[in-house]
Amino acid sequence: MEQILSNIIFVPLLTALILGLSSASLRWIRLGAAASSLIVMALVIVAILNFDPSGGMQFVRIAPWIQNYGITYYVGVDALSLVILVLISLLMPILYAYIWKEERKGYWFNMMILQTGITGAVLALDMVLFYLFWETMLLPIFILIGRYGNGAFRYNAMRLLLMTILGSMTMLFSILYLGYTYFETTGSWSFAINDLSGLDFNPQTSIWLAAGFLLAFAIKIPLVGFHTWMAPAYGSSPTPAVVILSAIMAKLGVYGLWRFGYGLFETTLVYYAPTIVGLAIIGLIFYAIHAIMEPNLRRMFAYSSGSHLSLIALGIIVTNIYGWGGSIYFIATHALASAGIFLMIGLLYKRTKSVTIDDLGGIAAMAPRFAFFFVFFALSIAGLPGTGGFVAELLIIIGAFKANLWIGVLAATTMISAMLYIFWMLQRTVFGPAGSHTEAFADLDGREMGMLIPLVLLLLITGIAPSLFVPYLEPQIEGALAEVMRAIGGIQ
Amino acid sequence: MTPEPFFMLATLLFSIGLIGLISRRNLFVVYMSIELMLSSVNLVLITFSRLRDDMGGSVMVLLLLAVIAAEAALFLAMIIQLVRSRRSVDSDDFAQLRQTKESV
Amino acid sequence: MNSLSAIVLIPFFSALLLGIVYLANPSKDRFYFYAGVGVLAPLISTLLALMVGWDMMHQAQDTVFHSRLFEWVNLGEMDISVAFMVDRLSVVMLSFITFVGTVIHVYAVGYMKGDPGFGKFMSYFNLFMGSMLLLILADNPIIMFIGWELVGLCSYLLIGFYYKDPANVKAANKAFILNRVGDFGFIMALALLFLALEGNGYTFAAIEANLSLADLSLLPLIGILLFVGAMGKSAQIPLYVWLPDAMAGPTPVSALIHAATMVTAGVYMVARFAFLYNEIPQVGEFIAIIGAATALFAALIAIYQDDIKKILAYSTMSQLGYMFMAVGLGAYSSGIFHVFTHAFFKALLFMGAGAVIIALHHEQNIFKMGGLRKHLKLVYITMFIATLAISGIPPFAGFFSKDAILAAAFASEHYVIWGVGTVTALLTAFYMFRMLFIVFFANGDNETRLELLPKTITYPLVILAFGSATLGLLGVNEAYGGSNLFSTFAALPDRGLHLSHSSEYMLGALNVLMGLIGMGLAYNLFAVNPAEPTGDSLWQRLVINKFYVDEIYEALFVQPLLQMSLFFDKVIDQKLFDGLISSTVYGYRYAGSLFAQLQNGKVRYYALYIMVGVAMTSLFMLTVIGGL
Repeated sequence: MEQILSNIIFVPLLTALILGLSSASLRWIRLGAAASSLIVMALVIVAILNFDPSGGMQFVRIAPWIQNYGITYYVGVDALSLVILVLISLLMPILYAYIWKEERKGYWFNMMILQTGITGAVLALDMVLFYLFWETMLLPIFILIGRYGNGAFRYNAMRLLLMTILGSMTMLFSILYLGYTYFETTGSWSFAINDLSGLDFNPQTSIWLAAGFLLAFAIKIPLVGFHTWMAPAYGSSPTPAVVILSAIMAKLGVYGLWRFGYGLFETTLVYYAPTIVGLAIIGLIFYAIHAIMEPNLRRMFAYSSGSHLSLIALGIIVTNIYGWGGSIYFIATHALASAGIFLMIGLLYKRTKSVTIDDLGGIAAMAPRFAFFFVFFALSIAGLPGTGGFVAELLIIIGAFKANLWIGVLAATTMISAMLYIFWMLQRTVFGPAGSHTEAFADLDGREMGMLIPLVLLLLITGIAPSLFVPYLEPQIEGALAEVMRAIGGIQ
Repeated sequence: MTPEPFFMLATLLFSIGLIGLISRRNLFVVYMSIELMLSSVNLVLITFSRLRDDMGGSVMVLLLLAVIAAEAALFLAMIIQLVRSRRSVDSDDFAQLRQTKESV
Repeated sequence: MNSLSAIVLIPFFSALLLGIVYLANPSKDRFYFYAGVGVLAPLISTLLALMVGWDMMHQAQDTVFHSRLFEWVNLGEMDISVAFMVDRLSVVMLSFITFVGTVIHVYAVGYMKGDPGFGKFMSYFNLFMGSMLLLILADNPIIMFIGWELVGLCSYLLIGFYYKDPANVKAANKAFILNRVGDFGFIMALALLFLALEGNGYTFAAIEANLSLADLSLLPLIGILLFVGAMGKSAQIPLYVWLPDAMAGPTPVSALIHAATMVTAGVYMVARFAFLYNEIPQVGEFIAIIGAATALFAALIAIYQDDIKKILAYSTMSQLGYMFMAVGLGAYSSGIFHVFTHAFFKALLFMGAGAVIIALHHEQNIFKMGGLRKHLKLVYITMFIATLAISGIPPFAGFFSKDAILAAAFASEHYVIWGVGTVTALLTAFYMFRMLFIVFFANGDNETRLELLPKTITYPLVILAFGSATLGLLGVNEAYGGSNLFSTFAALPDRGLHLSHSSEYMLGALNVLMGLIGMGLAYNLFAVNPAEPTGDSLWQRLVINKFYVDEIYEALFVQPLLQMSLFFDKVIDQKLFDGLISSTVYGYRYAGSLFAQLQNGKVRYYALYIMVGVAMTSLFMLTVIGGL
């Protein structure tokens, strides 16, 4: 049980190494990758069953690594990490099912390394370890887009890489400075979060340090102003990469904000809160309006993703129980809905070789099942009640109102913003007469429905019975919130 | 004899050699400038040897003269090779390590 | 009380069943299965509802039945369960929604038979019933809101049912978008209400009990925002433009959703929050004013319409205005009574119109109809009854409900509202009889062979006609010798209004007069030789084009939004942000090229660099380190 997190992190990487070093054939690579993802999923289920909602970090494992500088291998999981962990473990097998016919071996290897990177990033509690995994998860995405993408993929992949690394770089500076300060004040080295959070800085320094971290997360989410890598990258990337980007990696920006922003810099965040709130609200509306006239489906949902993630960031920064609960819930449900929609866009691309809206149309007449799933995922993204997205949006709106009347009003515009582009898009792609590329459109077969049905079921369950999940999260949220409130000391 | 004039002469010779090395393009002139600089260094060494009554300086100069001669042979051999490939004794023609126009 | 849960859940489950069976093999024709399951579910709900109603009648006035399914969200101070409650108000709504709903389901079987998407249709229809029942029976505002949104979803799916024609899909979009704009206001109200009462529970009962604990300055805002939701759902000014376009859906949809049930949800919501609105009568006044304005506005437009369904759509909008007049002024019983009676005669009118449309092979323009009196006798008689009812002619249902509303306006001294209401009554009679006369009287080329109407279409017409004729008697108030069974049963917190019996009689007589005048004028103008409205005068052109409201909205909201989207893309994203990044790239390359010039491959330059370096290092060593 102690080792469970390490196993979860490293199984895919080890599988990749073994398969790679032994020059395995495609058949073995496929099976190995699928097996590794299923093993991880099984382990995660075991972890859930043994998870104690009222405790703090669970399954913690600390092992010394680079002792001279106090860098340890320190992993643990709490409520939010668990949610993201479950998401990635669930999506990987589905993605492997999606790319089952893929013959380029590099694809499979990159996916395995990606899984390790993301799981590690979400579970790491030592800053240098976190940074290592943060970079590790970037490279496979870069390669996936840069080798297997479409459109101007080289340029877009490069832009993604460079912009993200810019943020990572500033984060690294802050990390090193923190570590060095710890050494100065206590005489020994450490990079573990709980050690570093005890450090005191004068407000000026702490603002700069926080900026280093916040820049990295702002680029990841992405908040408005830092977002220009997003739409081209999503537009050029192959389906599995775009699913991971939207469903998981963007959420890691929010995760970082929560874990490190609040973990290390609670008081400084009060300084940044207005900016973040402003950017989040502007982003919510800006991305949605931008999406309206977007002719490419992937780019449209890139903006949709940005819009909803801005809402999640808003939910976090209002720092009350409804906002935090709603954001964590939204992280889960949006990941599911977004994965669903991008998978469907991928399936659509396979049939029509186009994701441009003008080329599409009349799908409902030819493929009712496809139309059902597509409309379902689109409406989940729009926050239809009955799906988990609604619960999350409701909670975040209440949280926003609790902070401030006007923030609440602007947050509530999320009800309107998603509809603006989704309904017109549905009208042109699913309904209406057939388009130039949809003359013959095969409906979904069993395997494809098998991939999508778990997502649909989870979205419905999270929407109809949130009480199955909230009790897992509530104690930890309340605890973390109480700590933050104590630290801030009531500054609003 | 005071050593000052010797130093001034050495400095003067060195400067002439330096300027010649930097501003002239003809390979032979470059070579001559290098030889000039070396000679001025030899002069300084001998002056100090005489000044401090230390044989070390003079010994160094004798060794240096031998090395300079060998270097002269090599240098001239290389010039011959360069001239054979390019038909020019202009040092600016051998700029293959330069920044090329296209790669940015 | 598990029957409450069953009432809501049965239609949902049947919708799920129908949906899955349909998707498994969409092209297979399973008429009897779809029809059977599709009608059975609402029928069961109706029977259960009637049993609940019967139970309720024998209990005390403030009895409430509860039924809790499971906990929904419990986070912080928010504790919401999926739970149902039924009190006098809900049982009234429940009774006619289930009954009229089932009748329309039967009608739909006849109407939609043979359509390839029949299974899908019945699934959507049942889903709608379930959602509407969820809305009515919810015991807290959040679950009600879920039902509220789901009926909006069903409306979207059903309006856009014939999706091959993009115009229909556009109409569906319009409906959903405007509904959602209303919901934007609604959810703000709910959030504010929750936070105002935080920690004191959030069921309707809890809110009512604890209202005094809330910050009273927020109440007007909450009241207005709730009404914004109602504006969207119940097609009041300014969020009404979706309703006429919604007629693109099949006629049973118009009958069920846009006449009898969904559009009345807004009125129900105001009545449900009566305890809140009684604290803020000025907001109530605002609601009544909007209602009156909408009633008049819609009636004016209806006079010049030529599509039979659009006339009925504007008519619905107008009658909804009446309902809001009532509840805004605190006469909740009258408002809900009008909801009740309106459901019967409006559904009947739509179904009759549908029968006519089918009989004439999908013709919807009334000027292409005419003289059908003899050929469609049953339809004619039932629609005549309904038209009398809506025009407020006693003893049919509409008279008592409309009279009660106008009496309330008069009694509360809102004479302008009363005046508007009375004039609108005249207009109502006028345009409704205009429609009746043009369709059934007058000349017309009806040598066209008429489609035969199945019993599934004709029987429901009879049932509802009977209802329209008789149900008015439930609401006869003491002035006329009745004991107003309806009001006493519903026991709503009406604000007391008193009117002497003589005033009552005068007002009643005035209303009847208005109805008769309207009927007479219509007969004169349209019974023999109906003239199509030409766009001669400016006024005519204005009204025929519905006061250009759609065009105004398009220019004010739609186009700017699209332009903004393009602007965001071309200017802000491409020029501003990308520009910033590109300029860093170019800046970097430029600096690089400057430095690259040092590396020109020429030996003598490199010699120079060596010398410069040596000189600087020597100087450094001599001065700084050596101390020279």
